[in-house]
Amino acid sequence: MLTEFGKIFVFFLTAIIFVVIALFVAKLIRPSRPTKEKLTTYECGENPEGSPWVKFNIRFYVVALIFLIFDVEVVMLIPWAVVYQQLGFVGYLLGAIFLILLGVGMAYEWRKGDLEWARPKIEEPIFTKSIPPPEIQKKLTLTE
Amino acid sequence: MNFESLNTSLQFLKPEIAVSILLVVVVLFDLIFQNNKKALPVISITGLLVTGYFIIEQFTLNGYAFNLLTADAFGAFFKLIVALSAIFVILFSISSSEIIRCEDRQGEYYTLILGMVLGMFLISSATDLILIYLSIELLSLSSYILAGFVKTVERDSEASLKYVIYGGVASGVMLFGISIIYGLTGSTNLYTINSILQSAQLGGFTFIFAGFMVLSGIGFKISIAPFHFWTPDVYEGAPITITAFLSVASKAAGFALLVRFIKITFFDSMSESGYWILLNVIDWQSLLVLLSILTMTLGNFAALWQENLKRMLAYSSIAHAGYLLLAVAVLSNEGLIAVLVYFSIYLFMNLGAFFVVMLIANKIGSEDVDDYKGLGSSVSFLGVALAIFLLSLAGLPPTAGFIAKLYLFIALIDANMVTVAIIALLNTVVAYYYYVRVLKNLYLVRKEVEMEPVGVSFGNKIIILLLLIPVLVFGIYFTPIVNLAKSSIAFIGF
Repeated sequence: MLTEFGKIFVFFLTAIIFVVIALFVAKLIRPSRPTKEKLTTYECGENPEGSPWVKFNIRFYVVALIFLIFDVEVVMLIPWAVVYQQLGFVGYLLGAIFLILLGVGMAYEWRKGDLEWARPKIEEPIFTKSIPPPEIQKKLTLTE
Repeated sequence: MNFESLNTSLQFLKPEIAVSILLVVVVLFDLIFQNNKKALPVISITGLLVTGYFIIEQFTLNGYAFNLLTADAFGAFFKLIVALSAIFVILFSISSSEIIRCEDRQGEYYTLILGMVLGMFLISSATDLILIYLSIELLSLSSYILAGFVKTVERDSEASLKYVIYGGVASGVMLFGISIIYGLTGSTNLYTINSILQSAQLGGFTFIFAGFMVLSGIGFKISIAPFHFWTPDVYEGAPITITAFLSVASKAAGFALLVRFIKITFFDSMSESGYWILLNVIDWQSLLVLLSILTMTLGNFAALWQENLKRMLAYSSIAHAGYLLLAVAVLSNEGLIAVLVYFSIYLFMNLGAFFVVMLIANKIGSEDVDDYKGLGSSVSFLGVALAIFLLSLAGLPPTAGFIAKLYLFIALIDANMVTVAIIALLNTVVAYYYYVRVLKNLYLVRKEVEMEPVGVSFGNKIIILLLLIPVLVFGIYFTPIVNLAKSSIAFIGF
């Protein structure tokens, strides 16, 4: 008789054999006309270029952190909402405390400026010389 | 759940609630008054003093909260140690040049310290494996950030990264152990696990394995020998205030958890003379004695070669963890009293040593033992204070450190563990060398460069005296702490 783990083993075997047979039969039947386009790495229609280890913009991390608050909120509130009826007023209080604490977190992010879409600072050109130069300015005022 | 049961549970959680509210208040204050950073330590200390009042109230309580936590004198004792060291660390932070440099992030600093305090409070009273895991994570996550708080210094960031990686592995292993225990017994409550272990013949290799995994998670927190790798690097890299906090409070919470885990989960019966007879599942005594001898020997011998004083104190704190573990390994009420007495003295002497090192580093910008050469005359008050703290750490008779060691050895001899006691005694002799080497550099070596006398501000003098007086007084008049320890070893349920 098979044990429970034995059944899982049979399942594994079936999965492996299924894949091997499918690939082998496909190999027998299909025509083979490789082109360059067909052989490149598939990347959602984009041309694969360069290494995948590029630096992501720091802005994405900030957005991800803010997203986390709301994500956690939903994850935690769903089980609470399911049993809310049995918990009564105490449950309501616990949920309220949880939401207030999350709100504090949100306020913290807002106040510390993490909701600003961080942009590289555009340096304004600094002019050290006044235009036109002072000597010419003097002459101009004299002629006037 | 109704109001009455919630209310009775919350009665036992007053210190935790107070710290949580304090944490939110500090965050909100920092958000509203962004430019007023001076008030943050004042608010934190006031809040912690209120918490201290609730903790003292807990010494007489006895009860469960939500079936997850217990309120008993044992937990209250450790909470008091944590709260006291938090207050001292906040006082240190006010004059720490490392922390002052991060002016704009002070709100986060105090919030995270309070986060650690909350985690440690929960650890020292948790009796459910899931809550134990969660509170360890709360403590760890706050301390990872604090270890790298001065993020512009490379040493700090390195410390933080190493701490995160080692800590992640340790907590993963511990969680695996917890899951195995749950799989074997079907419960995460320590009391339920205990009754299941008593009735059913569990055990065998799997349970030993799981117990060892949980021990490795706790051992990481208290830095005992095979799990101590992070300690020197983190203690050296982190800001001194955080190093001091980690070395005292985090260790205290870890020991509270270790004692509670062993005593509740594996308890069978109590012999007449106060020895715990544990269930025959894991041979805790041999395991702990082995680990503690390994820990203290390694800590003491590695400390001999250290040039950086912070790193030396890190190894010395590993050695002290070894002594404390030996007191746990006795598995008796006598040993438990020794642990409590040791901690209440260790708090003052270790915090004091770190504080003086910090003040000197503020002035001379270095923590190297070689830079202390001939400083004795220019740091007159600090030098004397450092000498007393180090001699107390070494365990010399007129100081409190001697009493701590005395109780440890009494417990060992009483349990007929003479060989182990001799090994521990030899270890303390080794420890003299590296403590005294600092003093030799301070007083007996000729000056290399002329230094102006280093002054200490009035406030800092008072903080040092607050730490120094207990170290001297408890060395002579130690009945109060021993009595407090004796009255607080009672566990709920036993």
